[in-house]
Amino acid sequence: MVEPTNELRILPKASHEPGWRRVVQSHAVMAVASPLLALILWEIAGRLGWIDQRFFPTPSSIIRELLDLISSGELVVHLGWTLQRVTVGFFLGAVPAILLGLVMGLSPTLTAIFRPIIAAIYPIPKIALFPLIMLMFGLGETSKWVIVGIAVFFQVFFSTLAGVANIDRIYLDVARNFGASRWQAYRMIAMPAALPFIFTGCQLGIGMALIVVVVAEQFGTKTGLGYLIWRSWQVFEVRDMFVGLMMVAILGYGIQLAMGALEGWLICWKPHAKTKSLL
Amino acid sequence: MSDRAFKGSAKAASADAKIAIRQLSKSYDLGHDQVKALETFDLSIHDGEFVCFLGPSGCGKTTLLRMLAGLETPSQGEIVVRRQTQDRPLTSMIFQETSIFPWMRVRDNVAFGLRIRGVPRLEQQTAVQHFLDLCGLGQFADAYPHQLSGGMKQRVSVARAFANDPEILLMDEPFAALDEQTKITLQQELLRLWNETRKTVVFITHSIDEALVLADRVIVMSGRPGRPIADIAVTFPRPRLVHELKAEPEFGRQWHQIWSLLGSQPQALPEKVK
Repeated sequence: MVEPTNELRILPKASHEPGWRRVVQSHAVMAVASPLLALILWEIAGRLGWIDQRFFPTPSSIIRELLDLISSGELVVHLGWTLQRVTVGFFLGAVPAILLGLVMGLSPTLTAIFRPIIAAIYPIPKIALFPLIMLMFGLGETSKWVIVGIAVFFQVFFSTLAGVANIDRIYLDVARNFGASRWQAYRMIAMPAALPFIFTGCQLGIGMALIVVVVAEQFGTKTGLGYLIWRSWQVFEVRDMFVGLMMVAILGYGIQLAMGALEGWLICWKPHAKTKSLL
Repeated sequence: MSDRAFKGSAKAASADAKIAIRQLSKSYDLGHDQVKALETFDLSIHDGEFVCFLGPSGCGKTTLLRMLAGLETPSQGEIVVRRQTQDRPLTSMIFQETSIFPWMRVRDNVAFGLRIRGVPRLEQQTAVQHFLDLCGLGQFADAYPHQLSGGMKQRVSVARAFANDPEILLMDEPFAALDEQTKITLQQELLRLWNETRKTVVFITHSIDEALVLADRVIVMSGRPGRPIADIAVTFPRPRLVHELKAEPEFGRQWHQIWSLLGSQPQALPEKVK
């Protein structure tokens, strides 16, 4: 019994709760438990016929299908092709975007010349350009690289431009006073200063690349996760479709994680750069 | 003490000066209006002189320094700087706000000027180490700026300018944002560094104390549009100790004299000209 007194006691937080309760309430456990619970509910609902298995096959059957596709080697092939198209397209778009963004960011003249053109093309949904791209580059790999590259380009370009525009003027003043050449100013000032923005652009660009590649793989190819998804639609093999969707999600998440790690390593000069993440 | 009132005569810019300012003025365009930052004036600064420009904020002293640094151009008149050699940079500026690059380690920040000039790597390392040690940064050579305090960051900025070995050092209120103790420590270190190198220094400040402690010569500026109103010789013997200097009666006398000069000036107001 505690007697009423005039004292206010400030004490360590009491932990009377049983151990299992603390484990359940930890955020890490919640983060894993919530999707698992959703899958279990899905499974039960599917088996009891509450939801139409033609559209939502049970998770267990999807996993069986996934294991089949893995053991036959088919899934790895599709994954590999998509990864290849995203990677090649990404560099095709990101490298010119970074270069042009840096140069334009520091040159009002070039900005005046190119900005209206780029700004006019930007609002077009990139995938709407795909028919034109296929006319120009055919049905093969090139057209897929190009459309992914275009999608990536705009994200990275505008982020780089914003990054250069946000460089503290004083750093450029220092460079000028110390006699830095234009090239030195790009390499030693503009590029590193804009790098956090460039990274954000690259992460957005990867997201766009995945959207675009899945649509582009509908045409002129028999490989890729996008093809897997479209084919399963045509033959009404919904489990394959879910496997494809799942793999696209995993691929996207994996790339984001890898880019986050790369960013933390490259931008170690910025405090707490590592905590920034889109997910 | 040889204090002389500043008349702004053409004589003031003599031919053998390190820096000769002739009939210089500067205005800024603000939309339809023009604001005059610096009134026409002449001035010369000699080789190896430590000169402080002292004035109220908005008197154009930073503008003058930026022109010397090649970051801005005069509206009228000219600044003639006499070069000793083409091998060394002419000016290096130490800015008021944090200007060291956050993406470079302390060591690379200090080496910046030398890298820009393509100095051989081994020579770079020797010079950088020398100035890191002189500025008390030896232990922090591999740190990134975000790990340093404000005072340490300004030390890096000072080390970067000295390591670049320019003919003229330009300082724009480099210690204004620091606390009093750090400020006095850094002033003392600057005096020591300067004693070793005896470079020409143009130092901007709004602190009378700072000007008297550091300079050979204090140029007192009027409010906007700025122009020199007095040119005061500071003859305390060197090497100087900052805390000892402040106890000198002569220090107090000159402080008061400059205060009266500044007080006689109307507060800086933007002046419109056609």
